Amino acid sequence: MGEVIVVTSGKGGVGKTTTVANIGTGLAAEGYKVVLVDTDIGLRNLDVVMGLENRIVYDIVDVVSGNCRLKQALIKDKRFEELYLLPAAQTKDKTAISMEQMKELCANLKNDFDYVIIDCPAGIEMGFKNAIAGAEKAIVVTTPEVSAVRDADRIIGLLEANDLEEPKLIINRIRPDMVKRGDMMDIDDMIEILAIDLLGVVPEDELIVISTNKGEPAVLEKTSKAGQAYKNISLRITGENVPLMHLESHAGIMKKLRKLLGV
Amino acid sequence: MADCNIPDTKTILIQRTLRSGQTVRYPGHIVIMGDVNPGAEVIAGGNIVVLGHLRGIAHAGAGGNQQAIVAAFKLEPTQLRIDNHITRAPDGQKWHPKQPEIASIKNGVVVIEDYHSSGDKHLTLYQA
Ligand SMILES: Nc1ncnc2c1ncn2[C@@H]1O[C@H](COP(=O)(O)OP(=O)(O)OP(=O)(O)O)[C@@H](O)[C@H]1O
Ligand SMILES: [Mg+2]
Repeated sequence: MGEVIVVTSGKGGVGKTTTVANIGTGLAAEGYKVVLVDTDIGLRNLDVVMGLENRIVYDIVDVVSGNCRLKQALIKDKRFEELYLLPAAQTKDKTAISMEQMKELCANLKNDFDYVIIDCPAGIEMGFKNAIAGAEKAIVVTTPEVSAVRDADRIIGLLEANDLEEPKLIINRIRPDMVKRGDMMDIDDMIEILAIDLLGVVPEDELIVISTNKGEPAVLEKTSKAGQAYKNISLRITGENVPLMHLESHAGIMKKLRKLLGV
Repeated sequence: MADCNIPDTKTILIQRTLRSGQTVRYPGHIVIMGDVNPGAEVIAGGNIVVLGHLRGIAHAGAGGNQQAIVAAFKLEPTQLRIDNHITRAPDGQKWHPKQPEIASIKNGVVVIEDYHSSGDKHLTLYQA
């Protein structure tokens, strides 16, 4: 029996799809059986980020409305045998699917996969409600901006109200140089407000843009710092205890650690 | 300190953090064991006490109570209202409280003072 994890944020464009593609690929690289579900109906792009756009025949709406069998709509990844994508529909809208249908779909998928990872659309409307309907765990993505953190806080409140307790936090697009100069929100400040566990910090990295355009997740790229961060996040999801990378650690966290250790 | 005794008023205890978009409204006093995050709102007919970090909006004495107070371990609200008085930190400036503070209306304006839990009450206790 697998685990259903939704990746959400509230604010758009903070890196949900990038995160889903990278941790999905990261988990598959570790040998897990993974399916990525794009619930951003009408604005699908997980298929593009995964480089699988040209293989789509059926989509999630076809599955829930019985136009095809689940197996027919699942697209096998180019790189990993046990990695699949269930694409969103592009020509319909977010009302084309119901919360009940999502619950049933997730229940079916987790029978066959170790991890079911759901890419949630931005916002707090129907698309969000559908995306979280069948999930058991949640990852909240934010960037170091006041508006993104505010939306993340709102989302955490809504997740808690929907019995998705203890979501985990990913802070994306950190620029260590800006943090050092005090021009960017500090990781400690964000954690103090959001008060949830940190799953990882992903730096701003050009390679993300390049790999997104090529349809090859950066997590497989050894030279990419963001890729390495995503690899560590994938390992943490499997329960491994991976310390934060150097760029992820900074004065504040170190201070806290020292305080904890009493040195 | 302001007279924060508002007799015959009930108190509700909220044992969690209020996140952005969440509101608590109560005709009596409100005590929050947790934070009030930016984007959250607390509206009380009586006093508001936050055992945590108040960063959202707090409105005490809503509906006409000049005696109401707002107290927090860290009083750093986006906006603070008591009765019909509205105040906020000056633009570009932030309150960075180092200790618990208490806001009340004095001479028609909202003032913020350090909160001292000791003082008069203890004295009278010991004297008795
Ligand atoms: N760590 C990073 N470094 C550099 N660019 C990044 C990083 N993370 C994401 N991006 C870029 O930011 C853009 C938005 O990312 P993405 O599509 O993953 O966000 P999203 O949250 O899924 O957006 P939407 O809300 O529209 O679905 C993309 O162009 C992506 O390449
Ligand atoms: Mg997206």
